[in-house]
Parts: sequence; structure tokens; C-alpha cells
Amino acid sequence: MKPFQSIAVGYDGSPDSTIAVRWALRAAQEADASVTIVHATGLLEHLRTRYSPDELPPELLSLAQQYDFDESRLRWLVTNGDACSVLLRMASAPVNADTLVVGSRGDGKREGLLLGSTSLEVAEHATIPVVVVPSTYKDGAA
Amino acid sequence: MALVINGPYSDSGHEDEGHPERPQRVVAAMAAVADLRLGSDLVVAPSYSASRAELVRVHNGNYLDELGAFCYAGGGNIDPDTYATLDSWTIAQYAAGAGLKVIEELQRRKDGVGFVAARPPGHHALADRAMGFCLLNNVAIAAAALLSQGERVLVLDWDVHHGNGTQQIFWDEPNVLYVSTHQWPLFPGSGSVIEIGGRHATDRTVNIPLPPGATGDVMRRAIDEIAHPVIDSFKPTWVLVSAGFDAHRDDPMADLRLTSGDFAMMSEFVTTLVEGPGRVVFFLEGGYDLRALRSSILATLSAALGQAHEAETPSNGGPGNDQVERLHAARQSAIETRWSAEDTETTQ
Repeated sequence: MKPFQSIAVGYDGSPDSTIAVRWALRAAQEADASVTIVHATGLLEHLRTRYSPDELPPELLSLAQQYDFDESRLRWLVTNGDACSVLLRMASAPVNADTLVVGSRGDGKREGLLLGSTSLEVAEHATIPVVVVPSTYKDGAA
Repeated sequence: MALVINGPYSDSGHEDEGHPERPQRVVAAMAAVADLRLGSDLVVAPSYSASRAELVRVHNGNYLDELGAFCYAGGGNIDPDTYATLDSWTIAQYAAGAGLKVIEELQRRKDGVGFVAARPPGHHALADRAMGFCLLNNVAIAAAALLSQGERVLVLDWDVHHGNGTQQIFWDEPNVLYVSTHQWPLFPGSGSVIEIGGRHATDRTVNIPLPPGATGDVMRRAIDEIAHPVIDSFKPTWVLVSAGFDAHRDDPMADLRLTSGDFAMMSEFVTTLVEGPGRVVFFLEGGYDLRALRSSILATLSAALGQAHEAETPSNGGPGNDQVERLHAARQSAIETRWSAEDTETTQ
């Protein structure tokens, strides 16, 4: 099996998605891969913008620095759509991810809820491997 | 001419405080209907809950079971945009049934114009997933019912957001033509001009992405040059309009610059697309500024009914005019590439 080359990881600001980013940075560091951190802009975000497409949020920049991650291999992407559709699109150009990474539960989800679970939907429809990072994941760098 | 609307059904149980997709939207829509002062020309089709058989033409059975169970357990947030409450499953089934009943009444009368003022809206709902405020795809459920009767259905979607759910559901269906005008880039991110339908339905999806700030003249030119020839060649027997009004310049959810006068012009155009009366139905999708929603619905329905009405002046002068030719060329190129690939496969 080829090692990771291009990892796409979903980020919505939730603690679980932050853990997913941690895992992605760690795995990419070890494999010398690139990481695209992608934020899906939903309908309601037109009313209240959360993230600038031009600037990595400070909390993610700080994470990248914590892992001493080469910023030239880190991309921040803000794109329109629901989280599931946006992540699935990452397997295609221009990102061409070979691995998708998601947290086990996203922003605003109820515990145990299956309906609307991004991780389940992505796992069901993805054409590339998907890593679902549990909320209990600890990598020692935290 | 009569206007056939859906019967009253309380949707007050589908509400999340502060959310723009709220019950007052239907109140505004019904106020627009009242503004028409139709008297006995207003026909109310009784409220009706769509059956499972009618829903599974479009939606995955497991999804319906999950959605129902989720609502009965009290509901909650399905995703950061989309909510459901204890009552949402029942209300969504009535919203889906509303379109079916309006169509049934139009078929019985063989005359009139239909308007489905029901919520939650539907055009983002996928076969197996709720999203973008939408739980069940009302317009797709209606189109599927007509399809089962051998009809050829044009779904014209002028909501400011691309109707990704409707497009996905009929992606490979040759007897449904899906035409969408929408702002791009914008949620849900789909709706590129090179999305032309599946292998069995090449040229049955027509997407017209418009830049922020685009005005009615740009939309009309793009429809005329890109979509109109496809519609003419498709020869629809029914036209269902995913009538969102969030492309209005006052709407907070997007950045197109349409006025109620533009919707009136679009509505007039729609009525020319099908032969015979009683075959056009408008389905409420988006539209979140209540004043703009009311005036736009009034303008739309007045025009469809052939009533005189003073709407806002149609808009013009926005960006995008110079893109129309390029969009058309890109679409034609995608179609030719598809045909050429199929020819190659056939000869191999």
C-alpha cells in the first residue's frame, strides 16, 4: 500500500474536528504528505461568516506550529456546501486527496445521532479511504 | 383563470427560534395569495400527507425511517443548517402531499395555475439525506408522480441556490429536464454548467451559474440562449417551478439583484413552455425577507394568471452578461465530449 500523499481533513471548529486535524497533521508528518484542511460553508454562514478563505484560523496555525508542520504542505480551503458533499469532492481535482479524515461527531450534532452524521455519510459514499478519528484520540502532543 | 393552492395545514411545529426558514414565510406567501383578490377563482386543494409509496419514488426507505424516528424522538440539528422537531416528519409529509394534491386538482379541472405554499422547502434534499433546510424533496416527489403517469416534466429552479437534491434524483432520468439558475459560487457548491445529466440523460440537466450581483437581464439572456432551446426540444408536458425568491435583491441569504418585476417576467415565460392550461405549478422553496417574498410571489402569480399588476421595475446592468457565451460554449463542449466518448465506446 502506498503511504499517504494527500490528506483532506474536515474542520468545523468543533473539538472533534480539531482532533481530526491533529491526527491528519501527525500522519502527514510521518508520511511526508500534504494536508488540506477544508471547511464547508453552509447556508447559514452567508448570514454570519465564520472563516476567511484567505487565512488559516489562528487555532489551526498554532496546531501546525505545534507539530512543526511545513506550511508549504498545508492548505486551507473554505468551500460552499454541506460537510459531507464538500469532503467527498476532495477526492477529485484540484485536491486529489487519497485519504479523508473526519472527527467522529461534528458541530451541533447530538450524541448517538445517526441521521446527519458526516462521518457515516462520508464513509458510505467515499471512493477513497476514510479515517474517523475518535473523540478520545490522544497523540501525546496535546 | 383559477389559482389552485394547497389546503391549510399548520406548520408552526417546524420552527427553530431565530432560524430564517420559519413559519412566517408561509404566512407571507398566503398574504400574497390574498393580495390577488381572486374570489371564486381561488381553489383550495385539501391538505394531504404523502404516502410512503409516493415518497419512495424519490427517497431511500431507510432514510425515511431514520428521519421519522429522529423526529419522533424529539428532533434536533441534522447538520449546522438543517433542523427537525417532533412535528417535522408529519409536516414534511404534508408539504410533499401538498404538491401531489394541487396537481391532482389541476388534472381534474384541466385548467388553472398551481401554487404550493408549504414548508420545509425541498430542493436540497437528496434521495438519502436532509440538507440545506430541506427534509423531503417536494418538487421531486411531485415530478416523480407525474413521471409515473407517463408525463415529461420540466423542473425549472430559480431559487438562488442550486437544487442539488433535485438534480441528483433525476440525474439519469431522460423524461425529466432539470434547469437551474443560481448564484455561483454559493451553497451547495454544485451546479456547474458542465453538469449535463447522466449517461442515460445527457442534456437533461441545464445549469446556469450567475455571479454575485447579477440582475434579471443577465438571467433572462442566459435562459434564452442556454436553456430555452433545450426546453423546446424536450417538449415538456408539465412545468414544475422550484420557486425560491431568495434571488431578490433584499434577501439576506445571497447576492443576486432581482426584483419582483424579474420574477413576473420569468413567470410569464414559464407559462409559454407547455401546451395547454393547468400544467404549471410553483413550489415555494427559499425566500427569507418576508416583504420581498410577499411581493415576489404576488408578482409571480399575477403574471402566471395573466392579471395586471405593478411589480418593481425589472433589474438590469449587473455583472455576468459577458459570461453567457462562455457558459454556453462550455456546456456545448461537455455535451460533445460525452457524445464523442459514447461513439468511441460503440465502435470499440
